[in-house]
Amino acid sequence: MKTEILHRKLERYINGEALPAETRQIQTWLSCTTSEQQLTAAEKMQLEQDILQEIQAHTAYPLFYPKKEKPWWQKITAMF
Amino acid sequence: MSRTFTSDQELIDRLLSNDTEAFEELYRRYWYSLYTYSLKKLHSSNDARQIVKNIFIELWEKRHEWPANFSVSQHLYTSVRRSVVECLNEKLENDDYTELVEKQITEGFSAEALQNARKPVQQRQSAPTASELTRQHTISNEGPKNHALNMASMKWLLQMVAAKLD
Repeated sequence: MKTEILHRKLERYINGEALPAETRQIQTWLSCTTSEQQLTAAEKMQLEQDILQEIQAHTAYPLFYPKKEKPWWQKITAMF
Repeated sequence: MSRTFTSDQELIDRLLSNDTEAFEELYRRYWYSLYTYSLKKLHSSNDARQIVKNIFIELWEKRHEWPANFSVSQHLYTSVRRSVVECLNEKLENDDYTELVEKQITEGFSAEALQNARKPVQQRQSAPTASELTRQHTISNEGPKNHALNMASMKWLLQMVAAKLD
């Protein structure tokens, strides 16, 4: 499919003006999840932390709502 | 790390009282599936990362607006689909990305690719069920056997009647 046609279809889909066939086509594409792209555990952890830091920087929630230090007995029970 | 499981609903309730730990728990639960989904669709880790970030920023910022029966998983998956479509649309507006999109993404919209996406479901629908297979097997193998058995019993019955009459 040509990119111009796809662009017009997506534009109509976003504006809620797509034809039923176009909607079906886009939704089928959205639903199709075949190939798996896996990250290594280390990459995954790093990326998880990076994105969370970006969210924290944007919302500044750690400043507004700092974490309360848990009592020592709760820290110990959480280990088990 | 605590080993007790907390439901999404409970975490959303805690989010209303600005519980950042509940938010981070939700983030850890869902970020990866949202990220891999976006990556598969857009073939760009930067875009996928941006989408995940925006979705969770929205989740945090609108935490007091979610309705009582709010399903966080449903909301997140709807948001990621919408974001992917919007991101692709933005890419198509930019001439720098047109070639890249044509190479990697538009193929997925071809009739053949979409038919392949539906294939496993069609195969499952057309394949006979276990009970149908069993029934077919029973009819094909035991049909003649049952017929022979019936004929033998009829012969025996006729012989008995004939013997009685004699």
